[in-house]
Amino acid sequence: MRSVSEYCTGVCTGFSAAWAIARKDILIYYAKPNIIVSGMLFPLFMFLAFALGRPADPATMVPGLIAITILFSSSSIEPVSIPLERRTKTFERLLSAPISLHMVVLGESMSGFLYACCIALVPLAAGMVLFQTSLPDLPALAAGILLLSFCFATMGTLFAAYPTESPGDIMSMLNLVRLPLIFVSGVFVPMGQVPFPGQIIAYLSPLTYGNDLVQAGFGKATLFHPAIDIAALCIAIGIFQSLANRLYHTFNE
Amino acid sequence: MHAIEAISLEKRFGTIQALAGISFSVEEGETFGFLGPNGAGKTTTIRILTGMTEPTGGSGRIFGRDVVQEKIPARREIGIVHETSNIYTDLSAWENLMFTARLYNVGKRERESRALDLLSVFGLSGRKDDKTKGFSKGMKRRLTIAMGLINNPRLLFLDEPTSGLDVQSNLIIRDVIRRLAGEGVTIFLTTHNIEEANILCDRVAIINRGRIAAIDTPERLKKTIQSVQSIEVAFDPPGAVRAEDLAGIDQVTGVRKMGDKIRLITGDPPAVIVGVTDYARRSGLRIISINTLGPSLEDVFIRLTGLDGEGGGGGP
Ligand SMILES: Nc1ncnc2c1ncn2[C@@H]1O[C@H](COP(=O)(O)OP(=O)(O)O)[C@@H](O)[C@H]1O
Ligand SMILES: [Mg+2]
Repeated sequence: MRSVSEYCTGVCTGFSAAWAIARKDILIYYAKPNIIVSGMLFPLFMFLAFALGRPADPATMVPGLIAITILFSSSSIEPVSIPLERRTKTFERLLSAPISLHMVVLGESMSGFLYACCIALVPLAAGMVLFQTSLPDLPALAAGILLLSFCFATMGTLFAAYPTESPGDIMSMLNLVRLPLIFVSGVFVPMGQVPFPGQIIAYLSPLTYGNDLVQAGFGKATLFHPAIDIAALCIAIGIFQSLANRLYHTFNE
Repeated sequence: MHAIEAISLEKRFGTIQALAGISFSVEEGETFGFLGPNGAGKTTTIRILTGMTEPTGGSGRIFGRDVVQEKIPARREIGIVHETSNIYTDLSAWENLMFTARLYNVGKRERESRALDLLSVFGLSGRKDDKTKGFSKGMKRRLTIAMGLINNPRLLFLDEPTSGLDVQSNLIIRDVIRRLAGEGVTIFLTTHNIEEANILCDRVAIINRGRIAAIDTPERLKKTIQSVQSIEVAFDPPGAVRAEDLAGIDQVTGVRKMGDKIRLITGDPPAVIVGVTDYARRSGLRIISINTLGPSLEDVFIRLTGLDGEGGGGGP
């Protein structure tokens, strides 16, 4: 059974290298100003814009705020760190290390994932303190926060595969996707009010399912059973991960 | 088993042929130099052998493992020092070493003791916990090489290790390369510095435009062009000398200006000395100094790469 044990050792060393990559990103990038701006301030302004534009009770918007905070914070690290590392050639270290590209993608995504999980606690705590919201379905909330963070962190890594040395290039492509998702995914605008073509996009948007889970956590009406939401998010993560793996391979000439 | 085996490696980037089918092998324990001008294909060769890019033709093996099919096990045996000193400038020297060690799955105790050793070998112990942002170019290069050695590799790739560095860094780096070679580590280094190849390498491959022009020991490479000897002469006044006249002297096959001296390439130095003396007398010039030189590795290089201004006609 030598090959099986070799395989297991390979997987373990792969994961520990992925964690080393995530750790390095945490040390270097969490404190970078542009990451703080796009990860924290941006969702806050989006929230204020929606909250001021509508007479609705701001308390009802807390789950949506959590969802978009995760959307922006999780996908804000890699689109900045990877092009900068291409510029300094430190990215070549990861590409020449004795680990598979899948582990590089995973390691990169992990830092965005952990960042988003922490940032998401801010609107969550604020909502609980300011509006005394209760959390009847904690497991659904936890699943929503974790899967949504992981999903969009992987999406950030996927976009960062585009071979540029400028974070701005990737951020603008990413915003082309992220901003419309806010409007169609039932975050602040209920699905029923979204015009027809938007509804189709909504069914394809992981944000719809993640937001649905977070809403479930707050005991709000949901569109799908939590199991469906979880499955949809897992599928999205798998698709982003394998697409990212393929793109990094293709662009790495 | 060879440490490195390259079999007709070929690499195209669109219409650019970076490598036109090169073959060579490096034995375990050997220090092998890849000498060539910019754009020759040195970095591309390293990128293929380390599995960072795939060849468009041919194949490569590291300790018997295919660099495309078995790249991860192959990479465990090697250390790579990239052409650019790619360190994390937001991290300290220590954190850079620890990160690299974790990437190569070096255990905690081993990585800490190796890191301390390497910092001292490379003269960086005093700057262990400083952010590397403020490091000089030479210090960054030394740290990059230390990072390449943290996993105790059997084979080390060095892409232009000393290019453009201060004297002190150069000395430390060359010293480390010699010491590693003494410990049996196989070293593959690229350089465009002929002297470096001459003093460090057991064997040298001269590469130009994606082709290998020659592979041999530095001494044998020099022998292959025994016909290329030269006379180095300085005239007074230096400005009055016309290169065309010197080229016209019998037995002179090339003329190169070297600072205030002129080098005349020839297979027959005594005949040329007579010719030069005649020329000086006729032109009213005084000869300040005249020397006969054997072929240098530089001559071999220039001859084989066709870099002597003939538009590249010289290379085979
Ligand atoms: N990613 C790339 N895309 C296109 N051309 C490339 C790429 N990398 C290298 N080349 C070309 O391949 C040739 C060899 O380059 P390289 O291996 O970097 O040379 P060296 O390291 O000897 O200076 C050059 O003509 C270079 O322009
Ligand atoms: Mg190069």
